[in-house]
Amino acid sequence: MADRKMRILVVDDANLIRLYYRRILEEAGFEVEEALNGIEGLERLLVSPADALIVDINMPQMDGVTFLSALRRQALPLSSIPALVTSTESSAGDIATARAAGANFYCVKPIGREDLAGAMAMFCGVRA
Amino acid sequence: MPLIRKESDKAAAGVSRQALASLASASPDERWAAARVARDPAAIPNLGKALAHEREARVREAIFTALAQIATPESALVILPYLRVDDANMRTGAMDALRAMGDACRPHLSRLLADRDADVRLLACDLVREVGGADGARLLCALIEIEPEVNVCAAAVEALGEIADAAAQPSLSRCAERFPDDPFLHFAIKVVVDRLRGLPLAPRG
Amino acid sequence: MVEPKLLDAEDYRRLCEYLYRHTGMAFTESRRYFVERRVEERMIATGSSSFASYFARLRANMQGELEKLINASTVNETYFYREDHQFACLTSNLLQERLRMKPPRETMRIWSVPCSTGEEPYSIAIWLLENWAEVDAHDVEIVGSDIDTHVLEAARAGIFGKRALMRLSPALTDKYFTPAAPEHWQIIDELRQSVRFTAANIVERAEMRPHGLFDVIFCRNLLIYFDDTSRRMAAENLYESLAPGGYICLGHAESMSRISSLFEVCRFADAIVYRKSPEAPHG
Repeated sequence: MADRKMRILVVDDANLIRLYYRRILEEAGFEVEEALNGIEGLERLLVSPADALIVDINMPQMDGVTFLSALRRQALPLSSIPALVTSTESSAGDIATARAAGANFYCVKPIGREDLAGAMAMFCGVRA
Repeated sequence: MPLIRKESDKAAAGVSRQALASLASASPDERWAAARVARDPAAIPNLGKALAHEREARVREAIFTALAQIATPESALVILPYLRVDDANMRTGAMDALRAMGDACRPHLSRLLADRDADVRLLACDLVREVGGADGARLLCALIEIEPEVNVCAAAVEALGEIADAAAQPSLSRCAERFPDDPFLHFAIKVVVDRLRGLPLAPRG
Repeated sequence: MVEPKLLDAEDYRRLCEYLYRHTGMAFTESRRYFVERRVEERMIATGSSSFASYFARLRANMQGELEKLINASTVNETYFYREDHQFACLTSNLLQERLRMKPPRETMRIWSVPCSTGEEPYSIAIWLLENWAEVDAHDVEIVGSDIDTHVLEAARAGIFGKRALMRLSPALTDKYFTPAAPEHWQIIDELRQSVRFTAANIVERAEMRPHGLFDVIFCRNLLIYFDDTSRRMAAENLYESLAPGGYICLGHAESMSRISSLFEVCRFADAIVYRKSPEAPHG
């Protein structure tokens, strides 16, 4: 069991989404960091890696797919951080694209509280 | 759109025929250079054609910048179809350019908010937030009265949280009633309603 | 009267996000007191009775409120060795990386734009002389550019007051400056001649291109003032002005994340900087 809290980085340009995830995840015992888009996500991870990521697709300047591709090209540990991709898009093509870019898990929005906390616990190897 | 430091001269006096032709060059460097100088409305058709075929991300960005800089409803029109494409990077490029062009997109907003594609309506909500001007809140309130997709409503609520005043509260409450089972939407509406309560109803001067 | 508890946590968050999205300036929780005081000043100046109404005003950019808030929130004065962790990054990492990639004996070119009254490019010169062991082994060119020709004249004259020198030790001041007037010092001739000053508007490609390609560009605390389109154009111009693999440093509270995805993010011990891909073609 880890001594420290697991850190989740939420990469999403929607203020209210980040706030909502923060409430759920903090209540579930995680530490939460936020980024508004893929570039900011990379910057934050370069300063301190997270244990898991929640990544939106549609964001300004750098979308989630591009972010993941860039992330998977980095050195360890960044390149292996598990990522849950969330999107409003639900076609098989979108899911395939996200997986090809490096998503471990793909959820169509809206995500339920149990699914979110459960997925993060699974990624971090802790109990939900 | 906050316009802080305007560029010294808005447009080159016309674009040379050579620059327009170079937009179709086989060399990405030539296309890049051509896009960087094609800042005149006369270049819109060529920029549109170039955008449709461009595979280099950097050149695409430069074409988007040129269209954003021209900033007319016609240049916005060229960009709109890219809101629908499968390529997320393309959609982002299109949205960034539309956001940058401010008022020029405004004539298109109502149509975008009524688009058949829910994902386009969703992106339109974010555009309204940035460039919708005085009418933006009204457009979004009208949307959330009838919008069937919960994610689109959520995007509209997010935008209203920034641009609306307390007059939006009835529409927000009715929207919450239409989707009784969505915890995120309820959370979002509650946050926004609480926030808007502090705002004066008087129109901004 | 402005209420004592000015911004609650959510207000502060929302303001920071708004500023970040619209200017690229990032304020963390640790800056909260500072930001609150600035907002309070602006609220009094605009006669806003609540944060909510001030924010509405800011959003509508009434009477240029966004620029006024930015001005109030940035340390506008320029001085020697400002944000010197980036200079440390220059000598610890960036120059070495550039040397690895450049043809041997090619001049190392560094651009300070905007250079204002010259503190930044002269600081770079002094820093290199003081901290780069190999400085004598390489040809270095430092260029300082600004849109404002008055500041350029002042930069060429190289005369500075006490505040500009406040971060320099007495030893450095003695070494590189001579007294010029009461409470004013002039930078020594060798350094005045080592920096070339030019006029340039960062948004105008035609003014940027003639400067050629640089290894490192410092563009600090300027892009935050631009609207989206100008910022994109400036970013493209800066990209064009970098040699492949060249670096650009922004102000320490700024991020490329609101500007452009043209550059790669690079993290070094002393700073986060941005790089033009080494595989990028010239220009």
